[in-house]
Amino acid sequence: MNQPPPDSYALDPSWTDLVPLPQDDGEHPLAQIAYTEEYSEAMSYLRAIMAKNEYTPRVLQVTAHIIEMNPAHYTVWLYRAKTLLSLLQSDDGAAADLGRELRFLNDLALRHQKNYQIWNHRQTVVEAMAAAPELVGQMVREEKQFTNAMFRRDGKNYHVWSYRQWLVRRFAAWAGEVEFVDGLLAADVRNNSAWNHRYFVIFGQQGEEGVGDEVVEREVRVVEDAVFIAPQNASAWNYLRGLLGKVGRPLSSVEGLCLTYAPLDNPDAITSSHALDLLADIYAGRKEERAKAIKALELLAARYDPIRANYWNYRAGIIKAAA
Amino acid sequence: MASTLLTPKHVTYIQSLDTKRDRLDYHLTEHLRLSGIYWGLTSLHLLNHPTALPRSETIAFVKSCYHPSSGGLGASPGHDPHLLYTLSGIQVLATINALDEIDCDKVVEYVSKLQNPDGSFSGDEWGEVDSRFVYCALNTLSLLGRLDDAPSVSVEGAVGFVLRCLNADGGFGMAPGAESHAGQIFTCVGALKIAGVFEKSLSEDQVNLLGDWLCERQLPNGGLNGRPEKLEDVCYSWWVLSSMAMIGRLHWIDREKLVDFILSCQDEENGGIADRKGNVADVFHTVFGLAGLSLLGYEGLKEVDPVYCMPKEVTDKIVWNHRKTPTSQSL
Repeated sequence: MNQPPPDSYALDPSWTDLVPLPQDDGEHPLAQIAYTEEYSEAMSYLRAIMAKNEYTPRVLQVTAHIIEMNPAHYTVWLYRAKTLLSLLQSDDGAAADLGRELRFLNDLALRHQKNYQIWNHRQTVVEAMAAAPELVGQMVREEKQFTNAMFRRDGKNYHVWSYRQWLVRRFAAWAGEVEFVDGLLAADVRNNSAWNHRYFVIFGQQGEEGVGDEVVEREVRVVEDAVFIAPQNASAWNYLRGLLGKVGRPLSSVEGLCLTYAPLDNPDAITSSHALDLLADIYAGRKEERAKAIKALELLAARYDPIRANYWNYRAGIIKAAA
Repeated sequence: MASTLLTPKHVTYIQSLDTKRDRLDYHLTEHLRLSGIYWGLTSLHLLNHPTALPRSETIAFVKSCYHPSSGGLGASPGHDPHLLYTLSGIQVLATINALDEIDCDKVVEYVSKLQNPDGSFSGDEWGEVDSRFVYCALNTLSLLGRLDDAPSVSVEGAVGFVLRCLNADGGFGMAPGAESHAGQIFTCVGALKIAGVFEKSLSEDQVNLLGDWLCERQLPNGGLNGRPEKLEDVCYSWWVLSSMAMIGRLHWIDREKLVDFILSCQDEENGGIADRKGNVADVFHTVFGLAGLSLLGYEGLKEVDPVYCMPKEVTDKIVWNHRKTPTSQSL
């Protein structure tokens, strides 16, 4: 871990060479409370260090102290990153222990789920570690494990997802990602972030060759299973629409699935507005079945999704105008 | 539950924000102070109290965040420059008609240097990339009247990057492949609008799919969420709503229900608006709540520009009236 902060910077021999630089608050003197005093003292010493462009191990000590109190202070993070990179290049390279830095970040990330500075810094650290190619495999495995731990707390954390996708793309670490998504969807089939990652992985690793028929069929089955559990799950239906569009299969190839959840001839049995929505698109594309499309849209407007009645009526209007 | 807008309370609330310097919160939010000024100032303009913050002190604060060596602005004095705060600072100066107070050429230079070869922009010299920063860059340049002649900026490249963030579900994410998110959609659609290429970049079907995704964000309680299966929140209400306004689909959501939701999030005692009913108010949700109400045509509020989240009369004067094709007419 980082060296713990001194009880007082002013009294600690390793800090007494510095003249602290207090914040210039103009004509508004601070009425300080105790916690603020600790914060402003640490900030004053950091300002003094920054004014000298000093990149030494004690920067890690004081920035860790400030980050502990205020993890969103981006300027402090940047100076810490500069210091780490500078130490790596110096004779004092051992002071920049990147493994220790990641453990420091793990602890912070778990306590500050909404913070994104932690994840930017993590990218900087991981890029620096990647300079040693023999360590990359192990590092990527551990990074995936840590993000998995974050997802167990919140499977939709946007910062963590951005980081995960960066990691996968940066190190071509596609292996195991589909199984990882399977696990998340088994825990929460409505997790839209997981569905998005599924799309990212299925199409991200394929390059120019495209996705084979067997993959498309497997993915359609995944959606079938998911909507069986939760028919009214927008994420699964959106994924299906995106998948078919991407590989150029017509929506009508899933007409049967849609009718299972939205039997137009038995409106009382409809369990999914999203299936109705898809059916409306399927039938709108067939001249002789436009009446069915309009019926689906009318059911949406009047009964299954009335808060968006204006939208469904707009779509019905387009079909009527084309007729 | 408040059923009307508590204008005097909101004005007092915003004026009080800068007087709490003895509170730790004040110091712990230093890293976004300049954006806080933009949120507060814009709120006051929308509430028709444009002079409620002292003009000269506002200008002095913006200038104290300016880094003459790079041309960027930080969140507070002593904080590193960043595109987010550069935009906030320029928005503040534009709103109070004080752009001549800083060296705009230098700001343009700062923004230009942050563009990457793939067209994206980094938020600062450290290279953090996010589709939001394309919006920040184009917005800043356009407010300075320099979108077309900023040295070495490729608007076309920026647009290309934004379009690579478009997802199969119709929305936009933070980077290519990242999940659609209402906040990112606001910035991506806004960037395309500012660049003047939205209409030719997306087909009618793509716009409808985007509108479908956006209006699906409205929940039975009237509020909007930012992603599927997430809770409603006043700030997402703005990002979704402004995007719908930009693509001409505002009427697809239930106006009355959203108005009631935003009004229910007001702090009736001390003013300000919270993310959800009963939570603590803050200036960030206050401006987005007010801007949302303005877009919904709520009586007594100044008209907001959905692209800039600034008073429309300001952006008309600075940006839209100079366009050969007045894009704002199509909003």
